[in-house]
Amino acid sequence: MKSFSSRRAQAIVVAIAAGSLALTGCSENKGTNTGDNAKKDQQQASVQSKAVTYADAAGSTGPAPEIAGAQSGGTITVYQEAGLSHLDPGQTYVSDAGQVANLLFRRLTQFQEDDKGNVSVVGDLATDSGKMSDGGKTWTFTLKDGIKDAKGNAITSADVRHTVERQYAKFIFDGPTYLQTWLSGAQYRKALPGGGFDGKHLPKSVLDTPDDKTVVFHFDQPRTDLPQTLAMAGYAIVPAKDDTKAKYDTAPVATGPYKIASYKLGKSLVLTKNSNWDPKTDSVRHQYVDGFNFDFGVTESTQTKRLIADRGNDKNAIQLTGGVEATQIQDVIKNPAVSKRTVKGYQPYVMQLTFNMDRVKDLKVRQAITYAVNSKSLIAGEGGVYGGDVAPNYFAPTLPGYEPKYDPYGRLKTPQGNIAKAQELLKGVPAAEKKVVFAYPNSENGQKRKVAIEDALSKVGFNVVSKEVDSASFYEQIGKLNNPYDMYITGWGQDWPSPSTVVTPIYDGDQVADGAPNYAHVKDAKVDALIKKALNQKPEDAAKTWKEAEHYLLEKVVPGAPLWYTKQFQLSGSNVGGTRYGSVSSLLDINHLYLKKS
Amino acid sequence: MTSPAKAEGSGPTVALEPDLEPKTEPVQAEKKLEGRSPGQLMWQRFKRDRTGVICAWIVILYFVVALAAPLLTKISGTDPYTLYGQDPTYQDKPVLDDFGLPLGYFGGLSGSHWFGVEPQYGRDVFAMLVYGMRTSLYMALGVTVLMMGTGIVLGLIGGYFGGRTDYWIGRVTDFFLAFPQQLFFIAFMPVVTAFFVDPREETPTYFRAVAMLIVLWVLGWMGMARLIRSTVLTLREREFVEAAKVSGASPGRIVRKEILPNVVTPILVQFTYQLPSTILTIAFLSFAGVGFVEPTPDWGKLFANGAKYTEQDPAFIFFPGIALVIFVLAFNLLGDSVRDAFDPKSGR
Repeated sequence: MKSFSSRRAQAIVVAIAAGSLALTGCSENKGTNTGDNAKKDQQQASVQSKAVTYADAAGSTGPAPEIAGAQSGGTITVYQEAGLSHLDPGQTYVSDAGQVANLLFRRLTQFQEDDKGNVSVVGDLATDSGKMSDGGKTWTFTLKDGIKDAKGNAITSADVRHTVERQYAKFIFDGPTYLQTWLSGAQYRKALPGGGFDGKHLPKSVLDTPDDKTVVFHFDQPRTDLPQTLAMAGYAIVPAKDDTKAKYDTAPVATGPYKIASYKLGKSLVLTKNSNWDPKTDSVRHQYVDGFNFDFGVTESTQTKRLIADRGNDKNAIQLTGGVEATQIQDVIKNPAVSKRTVKGYQPYVMQLTFNMDRVKDLKVRQAITYAVNSKSLIAGEGGVYGGDVAPNYFAPTLPGYEPKYDPYGRLKTPQGNIAKAQELLKGVPAAEKKVVFAYPNSENGQKRKVAIEDALSKVGFNVVSKEVDSASFYEQIGKLNNPYDMYITGWGQDWPSPSTVVTPIYDGDQVADGAPNYAHVKDAKVDALIKKALNQKPEDAAKTWKEAEHYLLEKVVPGAPLWYTKQFQLSGSNVGGTRYGSVSSLLDINHLYLKKS
Repeated sequence: MTSPAKAEGSGPTVALEPDLEPKTEPVQAEKKLEGRSPGQLMWQRFKRDRTGVICAWIVILYFVVALAAPLLTKISGTDPYTLYGQDPTYQDKPVLDDFGLPLGYFGGLSGSHWFGVEPQYGRDVFAMLVYGMRTSLYMALGVTVLMMGTGIVLGLIGGYFGGRTDYWIGRVTDFFLAFPQQLFFIAFMPVVTAFFVDPREETPTYFRAVAMLIVLWVLGWMGMARLIRSTVLTLREREFVEAAKVSGASPGRIVRKEILPNVVTPILVQFTYQLPSTILTIAFLSFAGVGFVEPTPDWGKLFANGAKYTEQDPAFIFFPGIALVIFVLAFNLLGDSVRDAFDPKSGR
């Protein structure tokens, strides 16, 4: 101790203190102006919300138009935090699996986007986007010639029928259910318990395959959205010969430009070129790169750091469904070289504070909460302006019929909550009704939301009781009809650009059931009637009906307080070319990539 | 240990102070030798250790600050629960930019926010820190004292009595050691909550505190028990213990008077390591979703949150970090000094 002179110690302490102050950037933060940015985002969103057009045979014929300056070769590295939810097309509903499915599997139809964000439906395996007859009750699809799966077997109408029928089997439980319900009703599994594996098939009056190249769907009411439904990854073709039932989820057979070379569950996935994919038959997909290496278990924070640094192999890397981590957003924005490598846009999700209408019966209470909630503090917890935007109503900017100015609760003017108005509404409400139970997923993010909700509601006189729910089973817990909670934050996004995929699942009184997404338990005769009306209308008239339903819900029923629109903000390496925001996947358009130098 | 008043009261002990004439010391010491217990000797030696005394004051100061958190925040005019960056009533005084990072210098340092503000929500770091110290220090102190106490008692019994007693205490220790502590906690806590708390009532914070205290205690005493047992095993065969046995002392007396004073060193060392690490364990539990939840201020959680912003807003971790470093350093040095005071030969 003695040899360590106090003067020397002092010098060291001073040096450390000064150094740390210098390092910690003792400079003034004057704030960054992001005003122009929000406007640009909204313009972009208006393109995103344009209605989808249906293309004819010419638009469905390949090959896809060359991307200017595109090169062939090289391997793209894909980072993802968690392993894939599924690989079986029938189980694919979540965006991570959907993004991979875009490389691996083909469907009857698919979405085609241009650089401006206009979306049309083109034929994928079908020669066009489908022929409608009988006012939309009958749809006919003709398959293209020369289509094979990765094993070299030709794909026929029997494979399409098998794809539909296997969705009736029990081992398919996570995928979309639109087509099955339309064909065979809500209890569709009873119509074909064997899923077509036992030689029994759907009757010809429902699904008909008159020859090897033709598939005919018959519905009991008009289904004008069918081409968009069939473009979902969940309805990608599973060839009958290749089907291994439940095992198919880890080793599916590809039909798209890439096939699986190796797959280690939750660790890695390697894709290589599928030589049996014929570019002449595909008007959307490309095969520029030699393959994709998926690296699972890389946290969002690490992904962002690696991609900002942009060294070595990270130059060829992209993010699958992760985005720029919230705390690092400003590092990306403030560095023009990095900022150039981002894609951003609105996601289809509207986050809302959903009320359990079986418990919160007083309309005034629901309205008061809707006035009181602080969207801004919730968005701050999501990463600020790049994480989300204040939502004034239930329709996301990506949805046709989105009205940016429709704002019955003055959310845009007072994003931090209208305390005076809420207090006024609460006058005369008994104290017992002011006790509200708020359920939140017990994660870091969930706890942040809890702070914001508690803070905003207790200010206007609510007694907020916050209950933590295990975050892995959060949606399962709040999906129970008799759950003991009064409100919870939920999000829902469209399955294809039509309000029918938003209003119907979450507000239709007929769909209130355990585990169903009608978390508010809305049972309103007028809403049900409007939904029924809209589903039977032509798209232009239906748009008006949907709007009417939304206005009625938001003003008179108030099943939830709209909080924020989520946004996507992804980064890719400097050597990756062709990057653009895919408005259908609301992620980087993975079919539009090449490497500048391979 | 003996109270300072008693030591001072014996008057002539002042003669031991080093600033007095050394040549008078032998005479004085010889006269007063009979009057001093080991405790008194320890206290005398401790008082002479300047580092130890300073560290003791620092540690006391921390506990006082933690206790006086409400008074201190009254002076600063802030509280740990208000979202200064998001609250519409504070809209005229913005503290955060569009990215949710603090405006101004060094993490938003200002007259009203002495240690700056937290990113994203804009809560006051000073208020969060003093309140967080309160939660963490007293929780950690409680857990550590309980763990130490249980470990010492079981270790002493096992080590001294040996044989079958030792065997069974050893197996129980093994059994508890086999529990994965944090995993157990994560699985256990929701079940307990569901059992005791009405699903429509909020889980009270004291309930979380008590549950954490109990589980950390029940699953944390084993290390100490093992350590004490092994030390006692060697002491048991020493001559002074044999002598006490021969002269007919009861086992209780031997344990208390002969053995316990000789295991003070490992106890103190272990204690000074355990307390800071318990603070961090409690913070980890908060992250795993079974400890304290937001917005309960927690020192460890504040520190861990700050770690996420080291690149963007290093000031956020600076104050909680510096406070933690000073505390851990002072606490460890204090432990060393106390150990040296008990047993001056061991350390040097």
